[in-house]
Amino acid sequence: MQPAGNPTDTPVALLARIAQGDREAFSRFYDAFAGLALGLIRKILHDPAASEDVLQEVFWQIWQEAARYDPRRGSPEAWVVMRSKTRAIDRLRAIRRRGKTFVAPVDESVTRSSEAPSENPGVAAETRGLVRSALDGLPEAQRRVVELAFFEGLTQSEIASRLGEPLGTVKTRARMGLERLRSLMKREEPAET
Amino acid sequence: MNRDEIAELAAGYALGALDADDRARFDALLASGDPEATAALRDFEGAVAGLAAESVEAPPPAVKAALMARIDAQGRSREAVARTLSSVKPSPSGRSAWTLVLSGAMAAGIAAIAVGWVVSTAYDRRVTQLAQETAALKQELERQQSLVALLQDPATKVVALSGLEPAAGARARMLWHETAGGLLVAQGLPPAPEGKAYELWAIAGKNAPVPAGVFTVDAKGVGSLRVEPIRVAGAVDTFAVTLEPAAGVPAPTGAMYLAGQL
Repeated sequence: MQPAGNPTDTPVALLARIAQGDREAFSRFYDAFAGLALGLIRKILHDPAASEDVLQEVFWQIWQEAARYDPRRGSPEAWVVMRSKTRAIDRLRAIRRRGKTFVAPVDESVTRSSEAPSENPGVAAETRGLVRSALDGLPEAQRRVVELAFFEGLTQSEIASRLGEPLGTVKTRARMGLERLRSLMKREEPAET
Repeated sequence: MNRDEIAELAAGYALGALDADDRARFDALLASGDPEATAALRDFEGAVAGLAAESVEAPPPAVKAALMARIDAQGRSREAVARTLSSVKPSPSGRSAWTLVLSGAMAAGIAAIAVGWVVSTAYDRRVTQLAQETAALKQELERQQSLVALLQDPATKVVALSGLEPAAGARARMLWHETAGGLLVAQGLPPAPEGKAYELWAIAGKNAPVPAGVFTVDAKGVGSLRVEPIRVAGAVDTFAVTLEPAAGVPAPTGAMYLAGQL
């Protein structure tokens, strides 16, 4: 994702230029990250038109708020990912509130947690057509936690209540899941489960 | 906080899944520059970004085109504001420019909303809301545009009103156009007592003062009044402000707070 070339073309430099209202920098930043953002948004929303809509919102926000990017808190890539995810989850919740059911429930299952154990979020995610590769390398329990957090926008306590597990267990699984993902992505041997 | 706890918070943070109290704790850690927290977060965010990168999908060109159009529209309205502001010179105290800034902000807001409205695809729920906002802003814009037009008209005069005995520190500026009316912006006036308001008077030569509207001021002593054209025999050459019953009176009865001549 790092555009090669001189230092004014790095994503961090592009964001600094965008903060000054540099249209050209924005265009380059969009070209570098829009595909990443849209892929993620589609994973969460599934609806192409709504996804493109959210993509536009995300990048409009980036245009207006580039000055708020803080390199100490992560890469521009991670920043775009977080913003895309947040906006997509917001939209998912709005769609849910309007009673359109073409996407998986977000919070209803939390309020109906007694029924939840019959549901298998991993399978639900699979039937929704999620493309997984690194995720497939996770033990089922960790994968569920990562999916529920990342693709359905649940908080850790919501996940705990959905899965009927203690909060501490959910927190540990989130950490171990991400540690393992990281090592899978580095093409190392998976860490211990 | 031990290392495991920090790693757990960082993982939840990277996933965007922390509950509010945990998020506050981790935000505090980050804000304090904690090196372990920062490193753990970067690591986990990398994993999360990697997860997202598995499904890169080329967006249709229309999305980028719409964004660039929005950016250009925003740029155009900013330039228009800058031009308008730079064309208005007489501003001894610099304060009355706030109306222009306001109108510029309105124009930018309208442009952003209008363009966004056109380019967005399926906002069923928000469309109604946006339409209402747009209608309200349009109305406001029309009001502001008439003020900008007033300022751009060479026949518009700027009258400085000085504070009199009850509020010597008060000041006001009157933008006045014989046929289009005008705008009064006052500052430094004490808040009007209950049941009272400030009334503006237009005076043409030796004729009796003609009421030109009532206004109040905010806690900072700032108030403004849009003035309709006034039909009087002869040209208005003096403006004055008195404190009157809130509904206004046909002829001045109270103390005079401000006065100025063309």
